[in-house]
Amino acid sequence: MSNIRDANLHSDEEDDDDFAEEDEDPRPEKRQKRAPSDDEEEEEDDEDAPKPSGRDKSRNKSNGADEDDEIEDLEDDDDEDEDDDEDEDDEGPRRRRDRGRAHNPFLDTMAEVDEEDELDDEDDDEMEAGFIAPGDDDEELRHRAGDDRLHRQLDRQNQADFAEDLEKVAAEMRDRHGGRQRHRLGDSSTVTPKRLLLPSVNDPSIWGVKCKPGKEKEAVFTIMKKVQDMKGTRNAFNIISVLERGQSMQGFIYVEARRQADVLNALTNVPNVYARSGMILVPVDEMPDLLRVQKRAEITPGTFVRFKRGKYQGDLAQVIDVEQSGQILNIRAVPRIDYGAREDLDGTQKRKRVVSAVRPPQRLFSEAEARKHHDKDVHATYGSKRGIFTFQGETYENGYLVKDVRVTALQLENVNPKLEEVTKFASTGDGNESLDLQALSQSLKASTDKYAPYQPGDMVEVYSGEQAGMVGKVTRVRADIVSMSVQEGPLRGKDIDVPFKGLRKRFKEGDHVKVMGGSRYRDEVGMVVKIVDDRVTFLSDLSMGEITVFSRDLREASDSGGMGTAAGKYDLWDLIQLNATTVACIIKIDRESLKVLDQEGATRTILPSQVAAKIPPRRKDAVATDRNGSDIRIEDTVKEIAGGENRSGVIHHLYRGFAFIHSKELQGETGGIFVARTNNLATMIAKGGRVASSGPDLSKMPEMSKKPAGNMAPPIIPRQGGRDRIIGQTVHVRQGPYKGLLGIVKDATDTTARIELHSKNKTITIDKMKLGFKEGATGKILSYAEFVQPKKGFGGSGGPSYNSSSSNTPSSGWSGSRTPAGSSSWAAGNRTPAGAHGGGGGQRTPAWAGGAGGDGGRTPAWASGSKTPAYGANDGSRTSDPYRDGSRTSNPYRDGSRTSDPYRGDNDGSRTSYGQPVGSGGRTPAWNPGNRTPHYGSGEPGPRDSGTAWDSGSKTPARSLSSVNDQWNDSYGNNSSTTARTPAGYNATSPEFSGGYSAATPGASGLSAPTPGGLNAPTPAPVSAPTPRANAWDAPTPGGPISAATPGASGGDNRRGGYYDAPTPQAGGYSSAKTPGAWGNDDEDDAPGYN
Amino acid sequence: MSSENPDYKWRPVPTNHFRYLRACMVCAVVLTLDEFTRKGCPNCHPVLDYTNHALEMAQTCTSPIYEGCISIDKPTESWIAKWLRLDKYVPGVYATKVVGDLPEEALDNLNAENIEYIPRDGSENNLE
Repeated sequence: MSNIRDANLHSDEEDDDDFAEEDEDPRPEKRQKRAPSDDEEEEEDDEDAPKPSGRDKSRNKSNGADEDDEIEDLEDDDDEDEDDDEDEDDEGPRRRRDRGRAHNPFLDTMAEVDEEDELDDEDDDEMEAGFIAPGDDDEELRHRAGDDRLHRQLDRQNQADFAEDLEKVAAEMRDRHGGRQRHRLGDSSTVTPKRLLLPSVNDPSIWGVKCKPGKEKEAVFTIMKKVQDMKGTRNAFNIISVLERGQSMQGFIYVEARRQADVLNALTNVPNVYARSGMILVPVDEMPDLLRVQKRAEITPGTFVRFKRGKYQGDLAQVIDVEQSGQILNIRAVPRIDYGAREDLDGTQKRKRVVSAVRPPQRLFSEAEARKHHDKDVHATYGSKRGIFTFQGETYENGYLVKDVRVTALQLENVNPKLEEVTKFASTGDGNESLDLQALSQSLKASTDKYAPYQPGDMVEVYSGEQAGMVGKVTRVRADIVSMSVQEGPLRGKDIDVPFKGLRKRFKEGDHVKVMGGSRYRDEVGMVVKIVDDRVTFLSDLSMGEITVFSRDLREASDSGGMGTAAGKYDLWDLIQLNATTVACIIKIDRESLKVLDQEGATRTILPSQVAAKIPPRRKDAVATDRNGSDIRIEDTVKEIAGGENRSGVIHHLYRGFAFIHSKELQGETGGIFVARTNNLATMIAKGGRVASSGPDLSKMPEMSKKPAGNMAPPIIPRQGGRDRIIGQTVHVRQGPYKGLLGIVKDATDTTARIELHSKNKTITIDKMKLGFKEGATGKILSYAEFVQPKKGFGGSGGPSYNSSSSNTPSSGWSGSRTPAGSSSWAAGNRTPAGAHGGGGGQRTPAWAGGAGGDGGRTPAWASGSKTPAYGANDGSRTSDPYRDGSRTSNPYRDGSRTSDPYRGDNDGSRTSYGQPVGSGGRTPAWNPGNRTPHYGSGEPGPRDSGTAWDSGSKTPARSLSSVNDQWNDSYGNNSSTTARTPAGYNATSPEFSGGYSAATPGASGLSAPTPGGLNAPTPAPVSAPTPRANAWDAPTPGGPISAATPGASGGDNRRGGYYDAPTPQAGGYSSAKTPGAWGNDDEDDAPGYN
Repeated sequence: MSSENPDYKWRPVPTNHFRYLRACMVCAVVLTLDEFTRKGCPNCHPVLDYTNHALEMAQTCTSPIYEGCISIDKPTESWIAKWLRLDKYVPGVYATKVVGDLPEEALDNLNAENIEYIPRDGSENNLE
C-alpha cells in the first residue's frame, strides 16, 4: 500500500493524498461493522497475550498484512479499509511475533518507525494528517496503559480536527476532479521501472495448482466469486489473487497467498481444481517469468496466416487488411467450393454438412462453374472492377475468396508458408507476377521452426542489438543461438553467442553462392553482385539473370553449376508419387518447379525435391475396369460418362482407380491432362482392337490349354463385360435331362445360366454350352458361342490351326475316324519324344483331313519319322505311299488290309477295325510306316517284311514294335495304342503295296501329289515341319513351309535335313507318298540327293 | 473493496457469458461487454468517458483478444498486481495481455491527464 502512496505522491500534492485517504473512507461505518468482531477477538487475544497488545493483535489480524499495517494500526490508519474486510484467524508465526513485540509499546513504536523508513515520507504525512477514527481509538485506549498513548491520543485528536478541515477541502477537490477513479488511473502516470518491482521475499508466494486443462479461466472466476461471497464473513478466504495463463501454462492455475494453508482452504471444493494433488511453490525468481507476455507479431497486410479450423483448416491465407484494431483480418484465400454440393439436396443443410466432409480441392472461383450449378446464387459486382462475385454468401475476387475473419480463428505464428502455397497467391493475373518478396519475408521471418539457416563455417554479421557490427564465423549452432568467433574489431578472437534474431549472413561481392531451402530459387547457383542489407543479388550461373534473395537463404557454394533440377529427372506426363496416398501427373516442367495434377484433380506447383518417387511407366498390361466392366488399358481412348464433363481422351496412366487422361481438346491449365475415376469412364476405342488379339492370350492361360480340343468354345469366347447378353433370351436346352425344353435366361455366370423353363415352373442352372439360341431374324438355332460372337465362325475363324480338327470333323464327317484316332494319337505322339513329329503331324492332320488326302499326310509324318531314321526308311516310305493310295480308296485298302491279314492275323483284326473308319485307315498308314520302318530297319528288306512290319507296327505298335525294334517300341510306347490303330489300316494296305513295292513309290508319288492337294499341303507343312525338324535338328524345317507349297519338295527337304527323322515326319506327312518313294531311295543313299 | 468504489461491485460471470468478456486496453480489467457498456470501465472511467457512446467506447477501448486471467482480490497486497501495475485498481479479474490498439481519442485523453499509457500487449517487455 505504501507503494501506492508513493506513486501517488510523485504526482500529486499532499492534499491529494489526504483526499485519497478520505476517499477510501466509508470507513466510519465500516469500522462500526467491524467492531463487534474485533471485540470478540480481543478477548481471545487477551488470553493469548494479556496485555495492551491485544489490540494490536486484533488489528493485525484484521489487516492480515505486514508491518506496514501494524504501523497503520497504531496510527489508526484507515488504509486498512481496503484490507481489513477480512478478519481472519491467525496468520501464523509472524503474526504472533508481532504480537509479542507489541507488548512493549516502545519496542512497538520503534519497530514501527523502523518499518516506516521503508515507507517514505508519505507515511509520516499520514501520521500527521492523522487518519484516525477517534471514536474507535478512545475505546481502545481504555485498554491501554501508558503515557505514550495518552500523548498520542492527544496528538491524534488534534490531527483529527485538522483532518476534518482537510476533509472538507478534499471533498471539494473530489467534486472538482470527478472522483477517485481518475485518481486511481492517474496513479499509473508514473511508471515504475519493472526492475524495481521484482518480487522480494516479503511479497506473497505463488503456488501452482493443477487444474483441468481448458477449465482454467472458469476456475479463476469461480474462485473469485467464492472469495467475494465469503468476504466479510468469518470464513473469508485469505488468498490474494488467482492467475491463469491459458495456453502457455495449460492445466495449472496459480494462487497468490501468504500461506499454503490459505490456498488449500480457498480451493477446497472448487470444481476442476485439484488442490489436494499437490501444489508447487513458484520460486521467487521465476515469478516474473510466470507473467511474461510475448508481444504478438505485428499483422500487416500481405502477411500470410493460416486457418485454424473449419473448411479451410490449415489453408494459407493472405492478409489484405487489418480491421477493428487488429481483431478482424480481411484475408484472401484460395476457395474450396463444391459447386455441385447442394445441387441435388435442395438445400438441406444437415446433409450438406455431411457431404462436405470430403473437402473440395483448392481451386480458384470459376464463374462458369458456379453459374452452371447455382445460377441464382451468383451475383457479379460490376462497377468497381470486374471479377468480384458473391456466391452463396461469400465474396470472390479474381477467383480468390475474400473474407473477414476474426483473429482468433487464424494462426498467425509459425505459418511457414510453403512455396507451392504461396505461388497460388502470386499468380493472380497472367501467372507471371512475381512473388511479393516482402510479404513472404514477413511470414518467414516470424517462423521459428525453419530449417537451420546457419551452419558452422558461415560468415555472419550481427546487425542489431548490443553487439551490432560484429563479424565472425559460426562455430556452433544450438536452438536459435549461434556461437560465433569474432573475426574483426576489438573483440577479435573472442567467442560470443548471438540469437538468430539480429544475425545475418555476410557475403562479399564476387562470392559464389547457392540458394538453400525456403526460396523459390532453391538450388540456384551464382555470383554475388550486389548486397543491400540482408538482400543479396546474384547472377545466376544457369539463367544468367539476376536473382535477389535473402542472405539467410544463401550459402557459400562449394559445388558449381547446379542442375536445372526439374529438367533432367522428369519428363512431361510422368507419373510421380507425392506421398503415400497421392500421385500426380506432371503437366508442366519449369526450371525449378514442377506443375502437377494430382489424383484429386488439383493442380499444384511443387519442387522436384518434394517428389517422393517417380512411378515407372506401368507395365503396358495394367488393366482397370470401366463403368461397363470392360477392361481398359493404357492408351485406350475413353470417355467420361459420369461425374464429369464428358471429356474424352487417351489414357496415359492408370493408378489404382484413377486414370490420367490426355485430351486433345482440353488444353489449357492442365495441358490437356485430366483425372477421372476409372469407373466413370467408358471405353471408346480399345487400343489395337484388343478383342482379336485375345486369342493368343487365351492360349497362355493354363486352364484353357488343358481343356480337350473338343471343348474349346469357352476359351475362344472373349469375356464379356457388363451384363451378359444372353440374359433375357429365350433358349432351348440342347443337352441334359431338360433337353428340348424352352426357357428364358434369368441370370448367367461365365459358364452357366439360370433358366426359367416355360414348361415346368422351375428354374434350372445349366451350362451355357448346352443351350441353343434362336436367332431373331432367321430362326436358326445358334450355339452359345455363335450367339455371343455372331460374326465369327467361332471355331473356324478363331484359330484355324487349332480348331481345324474339330471344325473339319463336323463338316467333313471325318471326325469320327480322325478325331478319335488321329488327333488323340497325334497328340500323344507329340508328347513322346518322337512326339515332335507327332505334334507336327497332329496339326497337319487336320489340314490334311480337310483335304481328304489327309490321311496320307498324317501318316507320313509319323511313318516317315520313325521309319527313316531307323531303317532304310525308303522301304517304309515307299510302302507308305502305296498305302496312301490305298487309303484313298479306302475300301480297297481295307480289303487289302484284310488281305494283309494273311501277313499277320493279328494285324488284320486291328486293321479291319480301323479300316472301317474309312479315312482313318488311310491315315493310319502314316503311322504304320513309322512302325514299319522299324521292321524294315530290322533289316527285312522284303516287301513282305515291310508289309508285316507295317502291320505289326500299325496295329499294335507296342507289340509290333517290341517285336520288331526295341527302340521304336520305346519311342512309341505311349502312343502305341493309337498308332497301332492307324497302322493297322496301313498295314493292310502296306502289304499290298509292299507287294507292289515300286508301285507303291510311284503310287505314292501320285498319291502324294493329291494328298498335298491344296489345303493339306500348306497346313501340315508349316506346322509339322517345324516340330519334327526341331527335334530332328532340321534347320531345314523351313523346308516345311516349302514342303507345304510342294509337298513333294518338302518331303525331300525334310528328309534331307533330318535324314531320318526330319524327312520322315514331313515327308511322311505328305510326301510320304512321294517322298517316300523318293525317300526310299534317298534314305538308302542320300537324303541330300533328293533335295 | 466495494467500500473503495461504491459504484463498482465485481459480479460473477456465468460460464456461458465468457465469450462476451473483453479486456480494457488501458487497465486490462476483464468484464463483459454489457458491463462495460452499462457502467464503463471501473478504473478508467473518468478518463475514458463511457457515458456517451457507451457501446462505441466499449467496443473501441476494450478488446476481446486477451490472454491470461487473474482474479485479484487484494490489489494492494498482491505482487502480481504490482508487477502488472494493477495495484491501484479495483479488485476484479484482469488480463495479463490485451491485444488491440487504443483509438487516438482515447490516447489523447490519457495524455491530457498526464497519464502514461502502458500498452498491455506485451510490448512492454522490451523496456525491461
